[in-house]
Amino acid sequence: MEPSVENSGSGVQVKDGLAEKCQKLFLEFLEEFQNPNGEILYLPDAEELIRPERNTLVVNFTNIEHFNQQLATTIQEDYYRVYPYMCRAVRHFARDHGNIPPSKEFYVAFSDFPTKQKIRELSTARIGTLLRISGQVVRTHPVHPELVSGTFLCLDCQSVVKDVEQQFKYTQPSICKNPVCSNRMRFMLDTNKSRFVDFQKVRIQETQAELPRGSIPRSVEVVLRAEAVESAQAGDRCDFTGALIVVPDVSVLAIAGTRSETSSRVTGREGFQAEGIQGLKALGVRDLSYKLAFLACYVAPTNPRFGGKELRQEDQTAESVKNQMTVQEWEKVFEMSQDKNLYHNICSSLFPTIHGNDEIKRGILLMLFGGVGKTTMEGTSLRGDINVCIVGDPSTSKSQFLKHVEDFAPRAVYTSGKGSSAAGLTAAVVRDEESHEFVIEAGALMLADNGVCCIDEFDKMDLKDQVAIHEAMEQQTISITKAGVKATLNARTSILAAANPIDGRYNRSKSLKQNVNMSAPIMSRFDLFFILVDECNEVTDYAIARRIVDLHCRNIESVQRVYATDEIQRYILFARQFQPKITHEAQEFVVDQYKRLRQRDAGSSKSSWRITVRQLESMLRLSEAMARLYCSDEVHPKHVKEAFRLLNKSIIRVDSPDISFDQDQPDSQDITDHDMLGAESQGTNGTSGTEGTNGHPGKAVDVDQQPIRSEKSIAAAQPAFKMTFSEYRRISNLLVLHMQKLEDLDDEGSLKKSELINWYLQEMEGEIDTEAELIAKKSLIEKVLHRLIHYDHIIIELTKTGLKKVGGEGEEPRTEEDPLLVVNPNYMLDD
Amino acid sequence: MMPSSHDWINNPMGVVEGMFAQRNSNPQWGSKVVEYFKDKLKEKEAHTWVPSLNDVPLHYLKPDSLVKFRCLIQDMFDPEFYMGVYETVEPSNNAKVLKCGKYKDVTECGVDLISRNTVTSERQTFYCVPVPGESQWAKDSYACSSQARVVPSTSYVPSRQKRSYEEDDDMDTQPQKQRELHIEHHGNGDSKRQETEAPSSQTTTPSDCSSHLDLNFPLPGERGPACLVKVYEESDSFKLNDTIEVYGILSMSPVLSGVAEEKDLASSLLDPVESMETVEEQRAHSPPASLVPRLHMLFAKRLQHNNPLLPSAPLEDNSTVFSSFLSEITSVRADLLAYLTHILLGDGLAAEYLILHLISSVYSRRDVLPLGKFSLNLSGCPTTSPYTDKLYTIIQQLVPCSYRLGMSLQNMNSLRLVPRKDYVANRLVSGALQLSNNTSLFLDETQLEQGQLDTSGVRNVTALGNLISWQKVDYDFNYHKMEFPCNINVLISSEGRSLLPSDCQVHLQPQVTPSNMEEYFSTFLLAQMSSQLNRYRVYLTVARTLDYSISDEVTKAVEDDFVDMRKDDPQSISAEDLHRLLVVARLLSLSLGQTTLSRDCWMRAKHLEVLRTSRTEQQKSVNGNEP
Repeated sequence: MEPSVENSGSGVQVKDGLAEKCQKLFLEFLEEFQNPNGEILYLPDAEELIRPERNTLVVNFTNIEHFNQQLATTIQEDYYRVYPYMCRAVRHFARDHGNIPPSKEFYVAFSDFPTKQKIRELSTARIGTLLRISGQVVRTHPVHPELVSGTFLCLDCQSVVKDVEQQFKYTQPSICKNPVCSNRMRFMLDTNKSRFVDFQKVRIQETQAELPRGSIPRSVEVVLRAEAVESAQAGDRCDFTGALIVVPDVSVLAIAGTRSETSSRVTGREGFQAEGIQGLKALGVRDLSYKLAFLACYVAPTNPRFGGKELRQEDQTAESVKNQMTVQEWEKVFEMSQDKNLYHNICSSLFPTIHGNDEIKRGILLMLFGGVGKTTMEGTSLRGDINVCIVGDPSTSKSQFLKHVEDFAPRAVYTSGKGSSAAGLTAAVVRDEESHEFVIEAGALMLADNGVCCIDEFDKMDLKDQVAIHEAMEQQTISITKAGVKATLNARTSILAAANPIDGRYNRSKSLKQNVNMSAPIMSRFDLFFILVDECNEVTDYAIARRIVDLHCRNIESVQRVYATDEIQRYILFARQFQPKITHEAQEFVVDQYKRLRQRDAGSSKSSWRITVRQLESMLRLSEAMARLYCSDEVHPKHVKEAFRLLNKSIIRVDSPDISFDQDQPDSQDITDHDMLGAESQGTNGTSGTEGTNGHPGKAVDVDQQPIRSEKSIAAAQPAFKMTFSEYRRISNLLVLHMQKLEDLDDEGSLKKSELINWYLQEMEGEIDTEAELIAKKSLIEKVLHRLIHYDHIIIELTKTGLKKVGGEGEEPRTEEDPLLVVNPNYMLDD
Repeated sequence: MMPSSHDWINNPMGVVEGMFAQRNSNPQWGSKVVEYFKDKLKEKEAHTWVPSLNDVPLHYLKPDSLVKFRCLIQDMFDPEFYMGVYETVEPSNNAKVLKCGKYKDVTECGVDLISRNTVTSERQTFYCVPVPGESQWAKDSYACSSQARVVPSTSYVPSRQKRSYEEDDDMDTQPQKQRELHIEHHGNGDSKRQETEAPSSQTTTPSDCSSHLDLNFPLPGERGPACLVKVYEESDSFKLNDTIEVYGILSMSPVLSGVAEEKDLASSLLDPVESMETVEEQRAHSPPASLVPRLHMLFAKRLQHNNPLLPSAPLEDNSTVFSSFLSEITSVRADLLAYLTHILLGDGLAAEYLILHLISSVYSRRDVLPLGKFSLNLSGCPTTSPYTDKLYTIIQQLVPCSYRLGMSLQNMNSLRLVPRKDYVANRLVSGALQLSNNTSLFLDETQLEQGQLDTSGVRNVTALGNLISWQKVDYDFNYHKMEFPCNINVLISSEGRSLLPSDCQVHLQPQVTPSNMEEYFSTFLLAQMSSQLNRYRVYLTVARTLDYSISDEVTKAVEDDFVDMRKDDPQSISAEDLHRLLVVARLLSLSLGQTTLSRDCWMRAKHLEVLRTSRTEQQKSVNGNEP
């Protein structure tokens, strides 16, 4: 490294004033820079360097910027040129403060370099300047010693030539230093007296996030030296600070700096020595191209932007995320957080090509935000991830939802239940073919750690495989005990599952549990269940038709996004850093709502599952996600309200989709509601026509086989009576009980419809005060009866009584206006 | 007339250097060079004078001459830096001369490496292979349209210098003769090849060496030279799997090859940088130039289609050719329909659908959803006779690129369908699904038998499923998967319903049962004139590239229609069905040469679908393969 030796070949060595000034300033910096406590910051580190295994001093680049902006700029722009001088400064510094062996080499490394380049941006203009690049390590080579400075023995006169600097090439002294000896070629390297440094090559590759679509990721060789070796493993995402260089020819650099590689170049040009040269090369034919390499002095794990490895690394804070954004990016995020209509806007921007299904979109969105993971006092951790399941008829864009999420969310894995076993989902122990060692192979759930695992055709998965992912869904870990390997692995993932109903179509008359081939424990682990039913009514049909036709007409406008995908991604990353706490009012509200859910649950027996603590937990998670969405530190009642509404939509609606309207829900704009409306209004005026056959007494229709087509109807806009499902059940039970009682008493006890209505109104007498109420009750009971007869087939209408000779003689031939009613013999009163 | 005007083909470097010398430190000189060559090629037929790497054997080509290459970008290597401008020193008088390093790999004379005038520039390297699965007729047709000096092999003298003179004399007559010869030859549809134009003669050399050098062709059994294309301008505009025609300067200096040989283990310890590349990398990145020549790109044309019978320029520019063709489109369609009906054993409906399938193409993507794809599952194929074989041969004769994948268990378990990144050699190892746009992929499920699929088998089936459903292939990058969109027409022939998804399933209903399949086909094939086949080929390509729109009026009608159908019977049509119906209507319109959807066409499409689904209904009771 001493200039005196360097000019062994080329004779005159230009003194590099700038570099030497830089060395001086840098030494000053090391000597003087103090931390806030007034201590010299780098002194303890430098004293550490006395230990034999240490040789690198890590300097925080921002400190240099604080100390002397000009010095920082010089280092940045002429990094490669001044680097040896800085190393020399470190050596002087260390030597001043400790007793170190004179021959020891020292290196400097810069951490926290502010700007970051993409691999794709490395161009000729950047050669030699200080850069930070990040990438995924794809290949590492073994560490081996590199000759830094050689000591040679002249084979002719036995004199020793010391300190021949080596850079990338094995370089012999060009001439023996003994003036009388003219040996230029015959030298022997004295390895004991030469100095070596650890050297390692790794290759890094562009991360997916940086890659333009349709291109192969670029890679670059990184040369690591000294203490930086072995700090990156294949598969890691790391930041490398250093400089881009061209190899093997460093001539361009040599001009900029004073680094002299002339000796090696001389041999190269004359072409007789060291290199094994082909005939053609000897004639001066040479390749015009160089290879690139990145000479890194410092390696650090990647500070994740979105798409980085750690989506929700624990030590990330909102502040640190903000710092990683550019000003424009941050402004956009801020603007979004101020958006009054944010919830809706993000939803519509996230799935622009999927029509309707707003609740599902909302559910998925909240899943992306996630709840707050908690640890109880006993040390049990409660998951914050929200699991969502979509059950639906074929061809209702379930897979599209999943594909979208896979496309959008970082670390999302898409897998199909049909094709993957439990092992493929969780983790498998496999024997490595070469080493015969057991290794753990990550399954989809592990790969999606801190992300989303999309499982299509969840129901097609073996039941025992479904069970295997229990643990992952609640405890968020995967344990393996197999073939002598015992491990617990993290699988902190949200699960987005899609399942087909058992019979191919969702059967509304059955409960969710009966519709889906899933075990109850698994089902309870989903926070939200959504049912996608192939709805038929004009409004939605038009909307669907419009969407599809638009798709085919190249109407670009049909895809409207308020926010771009990357904006939402950034926003989610930022918002996820919030850990909202539940306020007192929200607490009370939660308790309130939970109580209500429980009570309703007690009333209805047809529920798919009982409302338990799990649903309470889900509600909390959803509320937290909701609060995060608005970047709020606290969970307010309004957040809980929306969470409750979603939860309500997802469970309650599923259980009793038949006629009920939640009176407490003013927001009833979704498709299901429209449809209910239709069904109901048909009930009022649809006495004639096609339903006649269904009502035929000879046809004993089983309750369970009720087709969905009963929903086909006209979406009348007129308001209809609302009735909760439990209310409907109550009335129907009342009627059936009454009728059965009568039938038991008397075989001929068939009741006329009018009689039944009258009886019911008498029963209700106590509740009726005005005439208007009486009329309302009357039409209500008529509708309930209509439904019981035509849809649920609990009561059978005997119209053509003459055929069966059960009715009175008088009414025989005509179609009854006041038919006889009997309870379907197959009907069993439940509970 | 020829010698002077052909200098730019024989010695393009002369042109480049001339312009470099006159550049007057104008940084724009590079684009002037490109302009010059583009101008030259604009001349009528000028591009046919340029020899093509696809049909002229490498050893007949002169190094540093202008050549063209029709290829697929199989891999993109890392950028490399080179000396864009360098200074040479004349040893005799120490005179320094600035030279241009663009468009070449090596220089002959002593370079002053420490000159301050050296300019380092950057270029990009693409690994290109001939278009995979290119049909023989397409190759032949390209070859015989070439007027580059292709002289029958006997008169071919390796000494380029001499030959070029010789040839200049009879340049006027030679191509003429050539073409006649070709047409005649081409007429009987035989694939016997002429030696002069045979890329296959390449294989004599590679086949010997290929044992240790894998040229990385996507499909097994492919031939032809692979090429390292050096790209100087706008390298970002090229994407993987693009089909391009490169015009560039050929470089085959042996210096580029030998790097791998001199390898001294002892020195690698001392010179770590010398071992910057492993042996595998060197083999992949610097293969011998005699096998994998370097091509310095002047410019490249992106190929919209790979049909030699049509001009490669965008169709709007050839409106005259085009309109004349449109006038007879209905008659061609009728003929083709009859032809395909015969091949599909008299099943007219299947033939209709086959036409629709053959002209389908992904024209747009909405988020994850590819639009315009129309994969066809032809179920009910006879398995007893080599029927699928014959069917594929027919398709091969109609489309420019195709590949048949027999879905036997062994194939599924052993084939590498998905490209994989090899980090040791630092290259993308190709797989059978790395295909150019609009390649016809013929999946023969009749070859499938019962048995065990192993891990790679499952992976392969999944990849095929993804390809069909989403028109994308997830390339394996070891640490992660990366999806590359594609546009491949997948036709599945099967006995029952295929295990793979498809956009549309047609159950074949043979009207005739030929006793001897072989005979049935061979007599029929002979009857087809090659001119007739050419009409079909042009028809299929043109129909695919037509523009298409739906008027507001028809849009409304379609919407109403959908709602009405739902009203009558909600089960009759789902959103998915409407989606398919619109694709069918689109393809049907295009197949008739109509660029907007008419009501008539819409009704016809509906009718087709009804016929098709009624067949499937019948079939449903027979096999229990329904979900």
